Amino acid sequence: MEYKVEAHRIMSISLGKIYNSRVQRGGIKLHKNLLVSLVLRSARQVYLSDYYGGVCVRSPHAGGVEWGEGDQMDSDGSRSTPDEHGGESALVSDDSVRIPEVSVNGPAAAVEGQDIEDLAPGSDYNCQQSPQEDVGSVKTEGSGSAETGGPGSGSEHCVSRSENSQQGSAEVTATCCTRKRGAERSASAGSPVKRPKATAVPALPPVGGEGEGPEDMDTGNVSSLITIFGSSFSGLLSKEGAQPATDSEDSDSGKICCEQMLPNLNPWSTAIVAF
Amino acid sequence: MSSETGEVSINAVSLRYRDGGLPLRPAHKPRLTVILLTMSNSWQDRRQALLGPGPCAAPALKPLFFDPPRAFAWRRKLLGHVGGADGEAGVAPRGHTAMAGVGGGNDFQWCFSQVKGAIDEDVAEADIISTVEFNYSGELLATGDKGGRVVIFQREQESKNRPHSRGEYNVYSTFQSHEPEFDYLKSLEIEEKINKIRWLPQQNAAHFLLSTNDKTIKLWKISERDKRAEGYNLKDEDGRLRDPFRITSLRVPVLMPMDLMVEASPRRIFANAHTYHINSISVNSDHETYLSADDLRINLWHLEITDRSFSILFCGEFFFPLDRAPSDIVDIKPANMEELTEVITAAECHPHQCNVFVYSSSKGTIRLCDMRAAALCDRHTKFFEEPEDPSSRSFFSEIISSISDVKFSHSGRYMMTRDYLSVKVWDLNMENRPVETYQVHEYLRSKLCSLYENDCIFDKFECCWNGSDGAIMTGSYNNFFRMFDRNSRRDITLEASRESSKPRAMLKPRKVCTGGKRKKDEISVDSLDFNKKILHTAWHPKENVIAVAATNNLYIFQDKIN
Repeated sequence: MEYKVEAHRIMSISLGKIYNSRVQRGGIKLHKNLLVSLVLRSARQVYLSDYYGGVCVRSPHAGGVEWGEGDQMDSDGSRSTPDEHGGESALVSDDSVRIPEVSVNGPAAAVEGQDIEDLAPGSDYNCQQSPQEDVGSVKTEGSGSAETGGPGSGSEHCVSRSENSQQGSAEVTATCCTRKRGAERSASAGSPVKRPKATAVPALPPVGGEGEGPEDMDTGNVSSLITIFGSSFSGLLSKEGAQPATDSEDSDSGKICCEQMLPNLNPWSTAIVAF
Repeated sequence: MSSETGEVSINAVSLRYRDGGLPLRPAHKPRLTVILLTMSNSWQDRRQALLGPGPCAAPALKPLFFDPPRAFAWRRKLLGHVGGADGEAGVAPRGHTAMAGVGGGNDFQWCFSQVKGAIDEDVAEADIISTVEFNYSGELLATGDKGGRVVIFQREQESKNRPHSRGEYNVYSTFQSHEPEFDYLKSLEIEEKINKIRWLPQQNAAHFLLSTNDKTIKLWKISERDKRAEGYNLKDEDGRLRDPFRITSLRVPVLMPMDLMVEASPRRIFANAHTYHINSISVNSDHETYLSADDLRINLWHLEITDRSFSILFCGEFFFPLDRAPSDIVDIKPANMEELTEVITAAECHPHQCNVFVYSSSKGTIRLCDMRAAALCDRHTKFFEEPEDPSSRSFFSEIISSISDVKFSHSGRYMMTRDYLSVKVWDLNMENRPVETYQVHEYLRSKLCSLYENDCIFDKFECCWNGSDGAIMTGSYNNFFRMFDRNSRRDITLEASRESSKPRAMLKPRKVCTGGKRKKDEISVDSLDFNKKILHTAWHPKENVIAVAATNNLYIFQDKIN
């Protein structure tokens, strides 16, 4: 459980850094942002491995959804992380499942929609119940190389989900959770439907070929993160500017990020769809 | 100095080249033509291509340094001028062949010598020193700061009055090298922080150095003027023009001595060659070319030519304009960002072989390339990587393995790399692991998360060799710096602080307590000040004199031989 909190905290910090790099003097530093995106990816892997450990045990429905993904994943077995836990390998490598999804479905927005759709029930459950199962030895890095993890799209909606679950577990903004569940229920469950994504972070730029690896998406993230943060988060900027940028605030800003983001879901989604 | 209009003004005495070279107005930035020669793999052909284009005959290559050295030196000696003459070391050579160890021995001890910089608690960001470099003789010490200024210190000749005190470094020249600029196309401000300074070998009385910020490299000439002409006919002593009708006689102007004035003038400006931030420059051993590296690209320049350079390494693809000749590449599209996994973090030319250079990456690997092999050196000749220890994996493994500095030894046989927690010495003949690894501050490994939060984990520490390659030095936090003796395997931690800044005070070794019980005089890890970091250090090329940059202060330490 601590791993999840830690991973979430690191993800929030990383996102904060990526955002701050845009307003920093001297322009965006490629090297630093690359490193931050690598940390983000690692934290996401940890978080996801934790996450699916909790979900799998608890909810048959969510399990059903994920096993549906598992079918796709089998065909992509080569992409599964070798050193993930055996029991969760099917679930964890849903990241890698998304790689063919990304390329097959073309616009990243559609893929994001599918991801959210697939995971929405899961996140609902996670909001309701805090996962009790502690993922044993958390491989924080995975294999760290190209064949593990998934696209950065995973990282984005992971963050939003993590923020939601964080709220759920913190019971601070239960209404937010409810709102997200409502939004997701409005879409037809079951079969993946192309739907505007509802996450805090932008979609990937369209991926050319098959996913080259997690690094590809993450650095694609960086540029798109930067553009979209710049254009759509002016409200967030004023809010974050008011807050002192201290370390302790990072997780708080993550929450605030989500709170502020949720009302802006609709303009976001239209922007992403257009993209 | 106006940054609003984006103009660059240089606070130097002479603003124009005497030979009518490039004007300084940035509006006329030279158009960069990046040439990638694919038709010829010959090293000589490429150098020739750099030197002169085909059809339009280039003017005969002007030598870079044209002052007659001997006459100048003779005149300087006549006037009793202190300071190094052309090529000669300004410091009387001592018996320094036995490069002593790093301290702790009976015959060697580091002592405080000088400190430069203000003592205020509030340090202006612009005063933070960002690079330190001795020149080839060690007579001059250059520092660059975040405000774009370069300050050069010169060592005083040892005088007869105080035979036991080594020469002190005093300010020789100060000039504004880079100004903040604004890239209108990308809406980005370009910082004026000096990233690197590299001296050129001295060939005559003047000194030349290259200084670079994120985007632009400049070649500066630092020359002394100690005479001026007096007795002009057309203007009087104030400079006002005389009425021609009042002139009744002619006289020949004579050179009269004046107070020594050191003037710095930009001789070349190498711009528009880098899309990303320049992290390294390195002068080649042929003293005619140099390379500059940013995150994705390494360019090879000729010191004389500013409007074109070779991209000898490039991670990406070129875009050829359709309406111009293919050699006229004007735009570069960087690598497919989805495939980006590592970036270049440092690059250096080999000290003796002008065709060899190395570059380090953010993944902790070093590649050695031979420019004779191909025009584009994207296929390395040697690949240095140490296998990772899987037991020490963490979120931040990739960050701490990113190499921040790479330096060849003076002999050219070894190279040293600095990553976040350690310094590694590599033998160029062995690629699979370093020959020596020194832990700089291993006690920080458990603190990586908080160091990530406060951005300290991204600090780029530099490292340096001593003149004999027997010792290496690098910086740490809390104004500590570490030295490692390669022969005796001893190491020492010293502190650059005002408290130990009494003249010729011996430096006391410091120790960081890692375990539970803290001994007296030890510092616990939690009480380290991470805002006081020593990133830049330099070692005199011939003697045991070191310069350590601690935020806005420059400390100079010397050895004291009992």
